[in-house]
Amino acid sequence: MADLKLCHIYKKFGNVMAVSDFNIDVADGEFISFLGPSGCGKTTILRMIAGFEKPTEGTVTIGGTEVYNGSKGVFLAPEKRSIGMVFQSYAVWPHMNVADNVGYPLKVRGIPKDERLQRVMRMLELVHMREYADRFPNQLSGGQQQRVALARALVTQTGLLLLDEPLSNLDAKLRESMRFEISAIQKELGITVIYVTHDQSEAMTMSDRIVVMSMGKMQQIGRPYDVYTNPANQMVADFIGLVNFIPATAKGDRIFMQGQESLSFPNPKQLSGEAVLAVRPENISIARTGGMIKGIVNHCFYMGDSVDYRIKVKEQIIRVIWKGAAYGIFRDGETVYLDFDNVMSFAKEG
Amino acid sequence: MKKALPRFDSKFIVVAVSVLLLLYFIVFPLLVLIYDSLFVEGVFDISNYKEVYGKKVNWQALTNTVQLSLVVMIASIAITVPMAWLVGRTDLPGRKVFRTILVASYMIPPYVGAIAWIQLLNPSVGYLNDFLKFIFGLQKAPFDIYTMGGVAWVLTLFYSPFAFITISRAMEKMDPTLEEASRISGSSPLKTLWDVTLPLMMPSIVAGGLLVFIAAASCFGIPAIVGMPGNIEVMTTRIVTFVYMGDAKGIRDATALSVSMMIVANGLLFFMSWMLSHKDYTTISGKSTRPNTVELGKWKWPAFALVAGYAFVAVVLPLASVVVTSFLVSMSKGLSLDNLGIDAWIPVITSSQYMECIWRSIGYGIIAACIGTVLSLFVAYLSVKTNIAGRSLPDLLVVLGGATPSIVIALALIITFSGNFGLNLYSTMWILIVSYLVKYMTMSVRTIAASLSQVHISLEEAALNSGASWIRTCWDIIIPLVSPSIVAGWFLIFMPSFYELTMSNLLYGSDTKSLGVLLYELQTYADTQNASVLSVIILLIVLIGNVVLNKVTKGKVSI
Repeated sequence: MADLKLCHIYKKFGNVMAVSDFNIDVADGEFISFLGPSGCGKTTILRMIAGFEKPTEGTVTIGGTEVYNGSKGVFLAPEKRSIGMVFQSYAVWPHMNVADNVGYPLKVRGIPKDERLQRVMRMLELVHMREYADRFPNQLSGGQQQRVALARALVTQTGLLLLDEPLSNLDAKLRESMRFEISAIQKELGITVIYVTHDQSEAMTMSDRIVVMSMGKMQQIGRPYDVYTNPANQMVADFIGLVNFIPATAKGDRIFMQGQESLSFPNPKQLSGEAVLAVRPENISIARTGGMIKGIVNHCFYMGDSVDYRIKVKEQIIRVIWKGAAYGIFRDGETVYLDFDNVMSFAKEG
Repeated sequence: MKKALPRFDSKFIVVAVSVLLLLYFIVFPLLVLIYDSLFVEGVFDISNYKEVYGKKVNWQALTNTVQLSLVVMIASIAITVPMAWLVGRTDLPGRKVFRTILVASYMIPPYVGAIAWIQLLNPSVGYLNDFLKFIFGLQKAPFDIYTMGGVAWVLTLFYSPFAFITISRAMEKMDPTLEEASRISGSSPLKTLWDVTLPLMMPSIVAGGLLVFIAAASCFGIPAIVGMPGNIEVMTTRIVTFVYMGDAKGIRDATALSVSMMIVANGLLFFMSWMLSHKDYTTISGKSTRPNTVELGKWKWPAFALVAGYAFVAVVLPLASVVVTSFLVSMSKGLSLDNLGIDAWIPVITSSQYMECIWRSIGYGIIAACIGTVLSLFVAYLSVKTNIAGRSLPDLLVVLGGATPSIVIALALIITFSGNFGLNLYSTMWILIVSYLVKYMTMSVRTIAASLSQVHISLEEAALNSGASWIRTCWDIIIPLVSPSIVAGWFLIFMPSFYELTMSNLLYGSDTKSLGVLLYELQTYADTQNASVLSVIILLIVLIGNVVLNKVTKGKVSI
């Protein structure tokens, strides 16, 4: 069993609050991503779970065992926590060959050589690196080194795997295929995974739940679908996917779009005063007649699978992505009408 | 279409000229030296090797050299590895200051260190011996500096910075996640040190150790000043003795000893660079994330005391000894306030003979540094910025010069430029300046090359594209961008040149006596106080030079 519980975690570096009041309950076998811009505290939390940083306050519990408790002075060293971890820089030891790298955690635990070799080979099979067992890291590509690091983190079958931006040093194609491989391995072994990334598509495709972080605080936690369609605040909406923000004013049950006072949207959050409407570019449709908002085509970009229009509405540029459309349906300077779907609303921030 | 840029021709001339110069002043003398040691009047004859090593005193010098160098190498590694780790990878208080202090003895001339330790640990009136006798109520001085142990002690203190610089650089460059990966795999910090950190450091530790070995074996000042009074001879002192004999036989014996030294030193250095290019793990690691420092916890202050104690003994104590001695009114009276004054300084500063030596050495240093910097710039540019055939040959020749022991260079220059092959530089200032260039240009080439390689080729191409000629591009774009490294390169030649002893001691003539030689003479004639005053003057100039260097390069380069 490798469930994970973080309670009221705070971490201060000097005077900087890197993480404040962070709480999470991760179930056994769950895949959780920490998503956020660099410096948001996601890696710091991961390192506190691993034991490389000590929280300033709070408790960390892994598989029912308290590994850190600030007030009771409990601290379990990283080597005693039984965790697998994959680092951004791979951290494959250059002076050991692939089999020795993967077998090291077993060797430390005193597993006899025969069994060790067997388990190493099984892991290398899992990451498709069996034929590279005798190679040294400097003979491997970045993607292969990453697979070795993954096999090494999995070999003890500890049940909890931490991944710190594991794909960020790989090229785009490899990144995508590794994503599915990691997912498949996780399902096969049934392990709990904490995955730190700043890449939203990685988080969306792999995770059971996503934690969106900003400035040391958890902004939202939820299933990828919920986080995308129902972001908790403007920051989350902006960070995940593309979005148009339109200034608005909330009055009673309705929110009125600024500059288009005739146009209003429902106000489910019961906001009042200054507010922000948010609509994703793929939720806007364009027509020559009949739409609710009038605008002028400013420019359009052909993207292959879609066309990316920039429509000038009053003083604002609204971005519209039209999937599957042919290029050149609307010309620059043409007057068009837009229809909004799935409009979100937020209280105005800062 | 613009006319083709005149890059190939002008660059080819620069390569040709610098290769010829370097061949003539570095390779040719060394070849003459080897030839002279193997052939007598055109006939192959190695009887002189047999004869030289057949003599007990020479054989003893060889075994002394090997013993000393081995002991110094092992002691340096044993001291340096923990120091480098504490300073580079832990939360040791004051680690920045310690780093500066621990490399400081690198910029102090070794013979000044020798003079200082004689003042501290000579058996009759050594300050430290007296102090220990007083504290522990001893009848006899506990230490005698004029022994093999004494020579090894001073060599270790002054050459361990070579190892410290190499090893601490590797420690700081290492990706800390390699160690974290070991911890998370289940290894304790100690096991991680053993399984991961030390194996990864091993190439750098071996390289640092070899540098110390070669430096200790090539050193003349320390064994001459500390060893000779106790009749301890090493290879370098034997070579000097043979050269001083002045006759053909003496030179021939010196040649045989020198060639054996050169082969060992260059062989070891070649092995070292081969090893580093094949086993330098530190450069393989991916992006280094954050500097991960180990918390020492309760060991913090004991570790601090250890490092501070070493820094005090290795650097502060000898410097203090030289400075205090220079301000003593009377050497026969002990250390007390009323015995302090500038009495010893006045005769030195007013002596035209002493001041001439000081200005002369500064002058030679400046000339060597100016010529050397221009040459270094060409050599570095060729090896880093061009792709014409043979571009790295000049660089290699410069490295060869720097890798050759000073004493060997001096002897090779004496044999080659005494008129036997046209050019006669004997007893002129130029033979001294050539020797400084051969020995010290390599550091300046390294520094400038490192800086040039940071200037992307597109900056140059943009200037050429804007219509500037190649010369104009160098002047307007490249030189301003690498100017800090040019200043650094200048000082890296100037400083060791102006206080050089080993080569100057063999090459000076009646009108070209250098500061290092003067100081050596004063010390051998037991004029400790004047020697101390001159040492302090040297230290001041070195200090000023380093402050300037630090300002110009923003702390990136120091000596």
